[in-house]
Amino acid sequence: MHIYKTIKNFLLDQDYYIDLWQENIHIYGFQKIDVLQENRAVFVLEKFTLEILGNNFRVLKLTNKEILLQGSLKEMRKL
Amino acid sequence: MTDSYIWVEVKTTNNERFFLKCQEIQVFLYDVVEEKDRLKIKILEKDFKKLQKIWFIKVKKVQDLGWKALKEKGKKYHIYLISLAIGLVFLYVISHIILSVEVIHSNQDIRFIVSNALNEKGIKKNTWKKDYQEIEKIKQEILDMYPEDLEWLEIETKGMKYIVRVEERKLEEEKNEPQACNVVASKDGIVKEMVYSSGEAVYKRNDSVKKGDILISGTIKKDEETRKTVCATGSVYAEVWYEVSVSIPLTYETHEKTGKVRWNIKAKNNGFNDFLFKSRLENYEEDATSLFTLFGTEFFFVKQYETTVKELIMNESTALDKALKEVDEKISLTLDEKEEIIAKKVLKKEINNSTMNVEVFVSVLEQIGERQEFVAEE
Repeated sequence: MHIYKTIKNFLLDQDYYIDLWQENIHIYGFQKIDVLQENRAVFVLEKFTLEILGNNFRVLKLTNKEILLQGSLKEMRKL
Repeated sequence: MTDSYIWVEVKTTNNERFFLKCQEIQVFLYDVVEEKDRLKIKILEKDFKKLQKIWFIKVKKVQDLGWKALKEKGKKYHIYLISLAIGLVFLYVISHIILSVEVIHSNQDIRFIVSNALNEKGIKKNTWKKDYQEIEKIKQEILDMYPEDLEWLEIETKGMKYIVRVEERKLEEEKNEPQACNVVASKDGIVKEMVYSSGEAVYKRNDSVKKGDILISGTIKKDEETRKTVCATGSVYAEVWYEVSVSIPLTYETHEKTGKVRWNIKAKNNGFNDFLFKSRLENYEEDATSLFTLFGTEFFFVKQYETTVKELIMNESTALDKALKEVDEKISLTLDEKEEIIAKKVLKKEINNSTMNVEVFVSVLEQIGERQEFVAEE
């Protein structure tokens, strides 16, 4: 399913997408990272700001507009 | 060329600040592994300098990846790579070069003409091996060059050597059978057996004959009248006699193994032996096992067994037995399958200066008939 989603995202050329599977959080299309802590991260996207809350967030990959985090997600909201 | 990746180790007290800084200066982190007090990160090599400029972290390169890594490894192991390359070139050369050409045939003239033809066609020592098609072509050309001498030719490649096998063309020779001939005695003797396919026997079993006597006549007579002349053919076995003298030294040496063994490596080239290690044994017997052959030199693994030499004296009867045995060997050398020694008798025996001199009378069953042509009367 993940492969299907990835291909779909690639082909449909989304502005942003947020993907969750197991303990991984993949966020694509942000413009800036405001906060990147163990239990909280804030990403500025084009139309809104995304806040995620949880425990033991660890960065696995990081480029200019996407990030792969590992950790236990408790809450996600638009600010 | 694409940028290569490297692994770096980053020490920082504040991971969050570091990640945000990376985001700010556009350093992409392709893989992040958090360890106890450091981060191991995969980045593009070109970004390494950017990381070095961040003042609140300590960064060092730990591993190159991709093309760069290959280059680094190449530099590190250049001795091995050069040796490998030289080895491969050497292997290629020794598997594609010919160091000797051997023409196998009993006739020296055939060997000579074939060797010359091969040389002319480029099949000679210290040259590159030829491919299958070229060898087939050369074979045919040589056979065409000597149609009357050569029947068949095969060039076999064995290691660094060409082995050329040749079959000589034998043209049927006209048989020049003589018209008239006798079988005469080549020695004095007593006839014991006579086998003939043409002609007429002149002597019977146990008749005594002298050298030159006609044994099987080519003249066929009836009522004292010559009817026909043929070429007599047959074998006549007769008892003939020899006197043989033999000298046997009464002293002889024996070699006994002491139990001491030494190992060595021997190189044999054109009948000359060279040892790798100097042998410390004065007298020894060796047991050689062939290892391999390189450039025409054969290498052996040699076991050298130390021996002591003892001088012994032979008693008379043993010496006499040995003398008679030697007589047997001497006579047997000249005999064929059907010929044999009938009897032996010692005529004289004397010992002089530790040597026994023996004279032996030997009776031998031997083929004494030989063909002799004659001119037939009209």
